[in-house]
Amino acid sequence: MKSKIDKINIKSALTVATVALLGTSSLAQAESSSTSSVQDSSWEFDSAFLFYSEVDRVSAGEAILNAKKTFDNDEVLNLKLTIDTLTGASANGAVAQPTVQTFTRPSGNGQYDIAAGDTPLDDTFHDTRVQLNGQWTQPLAPDYTVSGGFHLSKEYDYLSLGINGNIAVDFDRKNSTFSAGFSYFQDTFTPEGGIPNPLTSMLIGNSDASTWDDSFAQTRIGSEDDKTTTDILLGFTQVINRRMLMQFNYSYSMVDGYLTDPFKILSVVNNTGKTQDYLYESRPDSRVKQSVFAQSLYHFDSSVLDVSYRYMWDDWEITSHTIDSRFRIPLGDGFGKESYIQPHLRIYQQSAADFYRPFITDDEALPAFASADYRIGEMTAITVGFKYGMLVNNGHELSFRLEYYRQTPTNAGFDEPGVLNDVELYPTVDAIIGQVTYSF
Amino acid sequence: MKNTRTVNLEKNKDSYSLKFNAMASPCEVIIQTSDEELAVKLGKLVSAEVWRIEDKYSRYDQNSLCSAINNNAGQSVVIDDETFQLLSFADQCYQLSDGLFDITSGVLRKVWSFQSQYNSKTNFPSAAQINTTLLNVGWNKINFDPKQITLAKGMEIDFGGIGKEYAVDRGIIVAKELTNQPVLVNLGGDLAVTGARLNNETWQVAIEPPDIDSDLVNGHEKTIDMIVSLKSGALATSGDSKRFLIHKGKRYGHILNAKTGWPISKAPRSITVVAPQCIQAGILATFALLQGCDAEEFLTNQEIKFWARR
Repeated sequence: MKSKIDKINIKSALTVATVALLGTSSLAQAESSSTSSVQDSSWEFDSAFLFYSEVDRVSAGEAILNAKKTFDNDEVLNLKLTIDTLTGASANGAVAQPTVQTFTRPSGNGQYDIAAGDTPLDDTFHDTRVQLNGQWTQPLAPDYTVSGGFHLSKEYDYLSLGINGNIAVDFDRKNSTFSAGFSYFQDTFTPEGGIPNPLTSMLIGNSDASTWDDSFAQTRIGSEDDKTTTDILLGFTQVINRRMLMQFNYSYSMVDGYLTDPFKILSVVNNTGKTQDYLYESRPDSRVKQSVFAQSLYHFDSSVLDVSYRYMWDDWEITSHTIDSRFRIPLGDGFGKESYIQPHLRIYQQSAADFYRPFITDDEALPAFASADYRIGEMTAITVGFKYGMLVNNGHELSFRLEYYRQTPTNAGFDEPGVLNDVELYPTVDAIIGQVTYSF
Repeated sequence: MKNTRTVNLEKNKDSYSLKFNAMASPCEVIIQTSDEELAVKLGKLVSAEVWRIEDKYSRYDQNSLCSAINNNAGQSVVIDDETFQLLSFADQCYQLSDGLFDITSGVLRKVWSFQSQYNSKTNFPSAAQINTTLLNVGWNKINFDPKQITLAKGMEIDFGGIGKEYAVDRGIIVAKELTNQPVLVNLGGDLAVTGARLNNETWQVAIEPPDIDSDLVNGHEKTIDMIVSLKSGALATSGDSKRFLIHKGKRYGHILNAKTGWPISKAPRSITVVAPQCIQAGILATFALLQGCDAEEFLTNQEIKFWARR
């Protein structure tokens, strides 16, 4: 059905005919542009810079660049680059004492002193980490979407490689979605100073002595170790009505391998609470974690409320509850184009691992596993903050987030003998989080 | 049976919508203003103009001029200047499409009855039926001048291919005569704007995917919405989402090749065209569909802004 139409300029001939019909007053240009996930396959970028700082402790800066490209047929490629640096001091697990304490750095190269009454902090943590993620998502069949991706993370002493896969099924006119996903990570840890012999004494002395290196090496059982993580996630999302959406997840995670923190120790104290020795901590070589999660999003006339709850339990006897809520309030154009403010409140509570103890007493037998890391002890944490966002430059989103984070470790039922009564065994950790994001 | 002719007013954040039914389509006029009185006045004006055109050129209305012309085939019927201009335009379209676009092809509906969401009965004609009917098709058999038109016996004219788009353009003209505020006139998906919105912003128009009412073809439900940002001019969509026919598993659109009497094969499911006026956009979209598999190439060669869905 070829015709000779393409030889004539139809457009101008029609313009002439149209003018005759409608008159010259209707002459105008047609100006238009389109946005469509079918036609437009340019890149969308999100960039963010995050700053995290604990009072007197760890500070971290992180820069993220995320690039997303949507192809024809709903295929999406997502690439993300994350760079973070960490500096500052972190608790090494020993308890404070009314006297000065000396510890050996994890590398074995040198000692550091902690003042009387202070919580022992190790400040040798400076590290830069680079992480790359790639994710490909595409429809497999009507109502079926599959996704697969990889993860790579490298820092001076740590390498993590991972893959993930996920399938999502929509039904009931896409009002319900069921999803199932798995991920697998292989991590290798090559800590400076090697892997310490668990539950053996930390060598304290003179790192410059000629015999030091040999003695230190005796406290090591290897230069590196690894662990694997397998996660399964099942999810269900349901549109309840025009204003409300709910999501439910169940996750199962298995970690096997080296789970101990080679930089953490425990103090061995006598019956007056005075430290006699420091032992490297030891954790089991496997951990199974499960969690259930429920989230609800409710759209009021203009504001949106997001509330979620998570319950986690594992075979280390840790259980935790998390309640997280955000309330997005649009501010119209008064404070910046299409701006909004979003207050945030998160409350977290966890129970201690069964092998957690703030210290070991010298009159008991050595346990199989022990750790004084407050992050697996009993604690509550609260985050309060807000996010402010607006549009700039042709519809690009700019947002600022400021949060205050307070972690309060608590006593899980341990006696505090002697001088330990006079020191702070469960110091509160306060942190400020600031973040700027820009999407373009 | 006529729909009740009422105009409903709706207030939006920064504009008013005037909604009414005409030409078997939901129609909407949007004016960006806070003056409710002006909005009501505009609604009355545009709807009156659209209904006037419908009453004059609808082949379904026994009292229309179109029906008068059709019922008096074989005789000369007096016409006015507006009708002469429309017929001249149809004549140009016939020439430019090399006969594929022909407003006398309406009689073919007697042998083709297309399915719609309201009518699932199909009528697939035989070659003999089509050939007999084709004897009554052919713009070259028409005789017209500024004062009259004469059809050969058995022939009919149908303004369906240009009527709605013409009404959109006329709607814009009467809107501009009334006010300088930004106005959008949308008659069942064929639309035009008087210009950009306030603050030089664009009108955002969502284009319905072709399969919105059907889950028959390939089971593929397109959920992609396409948003066109329109600053000036018009937009018309031609396609088969609402009227089509399934025969032996194959889908036939309702646009017929006036020369063969058959639906165009391998045409895109829908074409949306942007042009300075709606009637131009509509014709270009129809011309493109008439090219079948060459539809996109045709529009690209003509340097016309379009979106095609297959």
